[in-house]
Amino acid sequence: MRLKIGFLYSLILLSEIVLLPLSSLGAEKATIKMAGSTTVLPVATKAAGKFMAVHPSINITINPGGSGVGVKSLGNGLVDIGMISRHITDEEIKNFPKIDFNVHVIGRDAVACVISSEIYNAGVKKLSREQIQKIYTGEINNWKEVGGPDKRIFVIDKEAHRGTRHVFMAYIFGDENARAKGANLISGSNNEEQTKIALSDTAIGMLSHAWINKDVKGVGIEVKGSVIEPSIKNIQNGSYPISRNLSLITDGELAGFAKEFIQYILSPEGQKIVETSGYVAIR
Amino acid sequence: MWPLGRWRPGVAFFISSFLISISATGIIFIFLIVESFPIFQHEGLGFLSGSEWYPGEVYGALPMIYGTGIVTFIAVSFALPLALGSAVITSEVLSRPTRLVIKMMMELLAGIPGVVYGLLGITLLTTAVKNTFNLIDGNSFFTAGILLSIMILPTVMTLSEDALRSVPKEYRDQALALGLNRSETIFHAVLPGAIKGIAGAVLLGIGRAMGETISVMLVIGSLDRIPQPFYNIFTTGQTITSKLGREGAEALGVGYHWNALAGLGLILFLAVMGITFIGNSIVGPLSGRGINTKRKQKKR
Repeated sequence: MRLKIGFLYSLILLSEIVLLPLSSLGAEKATIKMAGSTTVLPVATKAAGKFMAVHPSINITINPGGSGVGVKSLGNGLVDIGMISRHITDEEIKNFPKIDFNVHVIGRDAVACVISSEIYNAGVKKLSREQIQKIYTGEINNWKEVGGPDKRIFVIDKEAHRGTRHVFMAYIFGDENARAKGANLISGSNNEEQTKIALSDTAIGMLSHAWINKDVKGVGIEVKGSVIEPSIKNIQNGSYPISRNLSLITDGELAGFAKEFIQYILSPEGQKIVETSGYVAIR
Repeated sequence: MWPLGRWRPGVAFFISSFLISISATGIIFIFLIVESFPIFQHEGLGFLSGSEWYPGEVYGALPMIYGTGIVTFIAVSFALPLALGSAVITSEVLSRPTRLVIKMMMELLAGIPGVVYGLLGITLLTTAVKNTFNLIDGNSFFTAGILLSIMILPTVMTLSEDALRSVPKEYRDQALALGLNRSETIFHAVLPGAIKGIAGAVLLGIGRAMGETISVMLVIGSLDRIPQPFYNIFTTGQTITSKLGREGAEALGVGYHWNALAGLGLILFLAVMGITFIGNSIVGPLSGRGINTKRKQKKR
């Protein structure tokens, strides 16, 4: 009896070793792997859904993680297409000498300085670059110092490699890797930051323009006396100061379905998806 | 020659499974040492004592080590009394059918995935902590500690209960014969007899608390900072696991950033290994004695 069970186990193990590779051979499906920025993510997901509906033999997998993950994954050969919402840094180019980074811009977005709706409704509708700077260094820590109620400011920072942080910090501090000593919390994806700000009633943070909603309000940026709101119109005419390209990156020129997929996003239909996701189309 | 006699396919399978299982631990350990070596070369002991972590510039693991320590400490200080109290009631007071139901419920609690605890933590616990202590935000060491205490409660409770039940019946009989009442019997005869098993249960709970990732990551705030003053547990912080969860994908594969994360992994691996080892070596001999005593009773 014991021998029989042992034999059975061996058989199962053996059959798994033999059959597993076979089963993956059987369903031959071309896969496009993508990873990176959670700002680009909604565009990529919707476009992938429509693309796969037209090309049933294609399978597109998309992982979030942030722009840094997008560059790293492409550099390590883990994905075919990386998603980024910032430029590729010199260090990243240096880290992957064998990769010929090829950037395909698919849309434009603004990084908004966002605050809890409670503070916005209490009167803080605008902030200047200097004020935001002081909030992030901890020099200003009460909302009453910038025209709001007497409440401590809950400062939300982002993971260092995130595209949104790079772009925001480049404008506020003139350094994309600026350290924010006044931070109370670090968040990751746009979704996570949106939730944390919505749950708080005294928070400030940075978010892609498309994530602004009734609980998470984007303040106007005061530049030389005039206030510029984070709106589609102001991104389009280039007056909003913290804007950026949303891009897909590849290693050299792609061929086949991956190339077709990028072309699809750049087509009128794909650009419509960019617009409905809350960004500005580039064509 | 094989000690198991003649060649059988089943035997071969068991031996190979055994070797694979053993080597998995070894491979992970060696992998962590190899991958983290450059950071110890680069930062030296500053890696362990440094309190600043900026990828590309400086890597100091102290805030994460502190975070893991303090969160585990909070978790155990809340879980231990609860677990011990319920273990005593379950083992010494409840009838057999009720006891089995309670144990089953506890094991169910242990089976709930960490991410579910994390989601409960983020929606219910952070708000509760924020309102109760009138904080600026509910993400904190304290919140993570409370969440972990709920997660390790079933482990500590069921193992403590096992320890209490393995105290020989003679202890109780003798205590009662000496005229002690029921609570005196529990406190002076049963608990001292089970103390080793309970200690082991706590250590295994600590091991689980240190290794838990996702639920901690969702409520700790992920700020690499040792609070000022250091016992201020109502501020945001970072544990080793939450750090690895946050930055693992970004650092993947190359550079000091990756080596530093592997270094954090190595620290955690050694800590959990040590604690599990101590836990097992404490529990081991005791549960063995419990079985022997039962056998003796049967013979009588």
